[in-house]
Amino acid sequence: MSRETVTPSVAWLGRGECHDCALLGGKASNLCHLAAEHRVPPGFCLTADAYDHALTTGLAADEGSAPTPLPPELFEELVRAYRELGDRCGLDAPSVAVRSSALDEDGAGASFAGQHETYLNIVGVAAVAEAVAHCWASVRSLRALEYRRRQGLPLDGVRIAVLVQQLIPADVSSVVFSANPVTGSRDEVVINASWGLGESIVGGTVTPDTYVVRKADMAVASRQIAEKRQMTVSVPGGTREVDVPRFLRSQPTLRDDQAVEMARLGVTLEGRMGHPVDMECAHHGGRLYLLQCRPITTLAGCW
Amino acid sequence: MSNTEVVQVAGPVRIPAPPEFPVVWDSPDDEQLSWLHDRMHNPDPVLPLESAFWGRVYEAFSRATEAYEMPVRLKTRYINTYFYMAIKSVVPPEQVEAQNKRAEEKMDVVMARLGDAWTAEWLPEIRSHLAWWDAFDLAGAAMPDLLRHLEDTMDRVSRLWELHFRIVLPSYMAMSQFDDLYRDLFGGDGAFGSYRLLQGFDNKTLEADRALWDLSRRALASAAVRRILEHSPATAVLSDFGKSAAGRVFRDELRTYLEQYGLRGEKWGLSYPCWIEDPAAAITNLKGYITRSGPDPRTEQAKLAAERDHAVTGVRGRLQGYPQPVIERFEFLLKAAQAGVVLSEDHGYWIDFGSTYRVRRVVLEIGRRFFEAGAIDRPTDVFHLTLDELLGSAAVRSLGDRRSLVELRRREVERFRAVSAPPALGTDNGPPPDDPMNRFFGKFFGGPPQALEEPDVLKGNAGSPGKVRGPAKVVRSLSEAGKLQKGDVLVAETTAPPWTPLFATAAAIVTDTGGVLSHCAVVAREYRVPAVVGTGRATTTIRDGQILEVDGDAGLVRIDPA
Repeated sequence: MSRETVTPSVAWLGRGECHDCALLGGKASNLCHLAAEHRVPPGFCLTADAYDHALTTGLAADEGSAPTPLPPELFEELVRAYRELGDRCGLDAPSVAVRSSALDEDGAGASFAGQHETYLNIVGVAAVAEAVAHCWASVRSLRALEYRRRQGLPLDGVRIAVLVQQLIPADVSSVVFSANPVTGSRDEVVINASWGLGESIVGGTVTPDTYVVRKADMAVASRQIAEKRQMTVSVPGGTREVDVPRFLRSQPTLRDDQAVEMARLGVTLEGRMGHPVDMECAHHGGRLYLLQCRPITTLAGCW
Repeated sequence: MSNTEVVQVAGPVRIPAPPEFPVVWDSPDDEQLSWLHDRMHNPDPVLPLESAFWGRVYEAFSRATEAYEMPVRLKTRYINTYFYMAIKSVVPPEQVEAQNKRAEEKMDVVMARLGDAWTAEWLPEIRSHLAWWDAFDLAGAAMPDLLRHLEDTMDRVSRLWELHFRIVLPSYMAMSQFDDLYRDLFGGDGAFGSYRLLQGFDNKTLEADRALWDLSRRALASAAVRRILEHSPATAVLSDFGKSAAGRVFRDELRTYLEQYGLRGEKWGLSYPCWIEDPAAAITNLKGYITRSGPDPRTEQAKLAAERDHAVTGVRGRLQGYPQPVIERFEFLLKAAQAGVVLSEDHGYWIDFGSTYRVRRVVLEIGRRFFEAGAIDRPTDVFHLTLDELLGSAAVRSLGDRRSLVELRRREVERFRAVSAPPALGTDNGPPPDDPMNRFFGKFFGGPPQALEEPDVLKGNAGSPGKVRGPAKVVRSLSEAGKLQKGDVLVAETTAPPWTPLFATAAAIVTDTGGVLSHCAVVAREYRVPAVVGTGRATTTIRDGQILEVDGDAGLVRIDPA
């Protein structure tokens, strides 16, 4: 990949230019590959170069320092990119998720789960800029640095990219394992699904439905419909975990064909990665979106 | 009941009947059911002929639950001149949940098209029954034809009341389920959060009240008419109207009003004279209205509608980030509940009152014949005979002299009128399972009244929001309505639709019976008048003139507050 073709500050998911792991971090560059072939919510990255550029123009890089506003030229680029994202979503001010993607995160030796910030349901360019500034500051947060110390990671020269991606207001969120994470069986795909955004599943605050799909004939082998009491929904300015209305608690989140569709996707990505994978998916308006995909077995480097 | 103590015990508890209200059960099974007196619809002793009517009504409830595959039927017993009803499950406990689910699916189909079903099917059928009665020449019919007509009449009562429950079950279930969902989504948003999204729709009750209001404005426009309404006693008003041209014109307008909206007595049932027979209640309302200069009811209704639309928009905004199945269910139930809240009043205009008036006319015509034949002392004594006795009298002569029988039964009724019917008989089986149907029953009937430590505070159900103070006027029947002045708190056992014109005069309403979805509460919210319903004992505790503080949001009534 030639660096000349890359916009230094902004890289779009699904375009060839953005596969550079050194520029985007593992999380974003993985998504970039996926976005080229699968339905990934549209989004862009403020690259590590943008972060570096901000550092050179006075971004505070001291330990625990407060977020600093974006330099004007980066802000202008962000305005343009957010507007283009709006065009792609068919919305004036799309709701986005803003996540940090550290360059040694996801795929490096240590999982940075939860160590960098994620901002959900951010609307409007000013709020996005603020969230980006917070993501940058999070690299230097006391908590993040302490984590790095404990993991024996270098404390200096940490670089970060920030992913700005349309937030799909999920009707159902799922975590898909292309191998059974409990039994280790590679003959089946296991799907956990629950109402609303994925945070309630990932955070473990809800007992999700569990679907098991047999790889041999791609049939649903079992479904356990749970009493799903909590869900995460978008509310103005962010998200909130709320009670699932009673009528919906014991209703199945997925039809069999939806479970099978996700299982097929899991098998495809497993084949591509050469490893069993876990994926995060969202269903909205009858469509399946791929939000994230990682190898279940920790592997070094980008793929 | 003075001789019982409330003891919290797990499992069924037999309810002892008070000595003045002896009960003999037909079977041990009967005694194990929880029998409730429906004081909201049927507070007074039921006369023998009426018992046949109510029997048809309650049977029809079970046909409707059967049609909707609900796992319950209604059983009734006519005990000491009062009707008691018990809900009986018709499937084993382990099948209830599955059966409820089938019923909910079945009812969803009807809820989806409540408005259309009303316009295209239910109302046309109701009108065809009413037209059938209107086409029959009561006065000209020979007695055998009249009795056959009575038999057909009772069959139509059965059919109309089956329709009635087929209409009201999905209408109220829609409102109740909408409220359930709203509470699930937004929690403690006051007692009335969901109901604000259902307010401001017109219905037949409000239409009738508005027509009376309009009549009062026309009365004010004529000095002669106004003077009569101001100064003549209610009983003399009609004849005084006859003495002037303006009075005669107004009397014709009043008659037109009564022909359209006066086919209703003061409560549900056959034995109450309707306004068209005795317009005193309408005249009392007019006398009250001409002293008032309040805003046009249309302005108030438009405000309520605007508030509703604003509230709906707000809730839709709040739901934007919710899963689609939640939004879809919300929209489904909102539409159904908005149609349901209108039908919860309109059905009553046509069936509860419109058809019952016609049944009453048939019975009264037979009563007139018996009276003329000397079998009874007055036409209305016919209500003290049974349906079988009427139908068995193929000819008037075979009826013989029934005056002593009537007298015996009248005494029986008076004996039990003096006794307050126990609210429950049989067995207390504890609170029913928490499912959508029982939640609806709870919101409609209001559940058992709660006792409080403080003797001067009544705990009822939040019926309509707002907090006011005013002197109490205990109104036991519409004939006493004249004493209600602007600013008074109306205290009543129950309020059937013909009582609602009083809501425009009252500062607040307190009832013994009902819940947040009762007719009284629904209409009080349309009048924006605070209401506490289902206190159980307001009419027996409160005396005229006591100052009440009515807190409609909390469901509390303080007597003589500091």
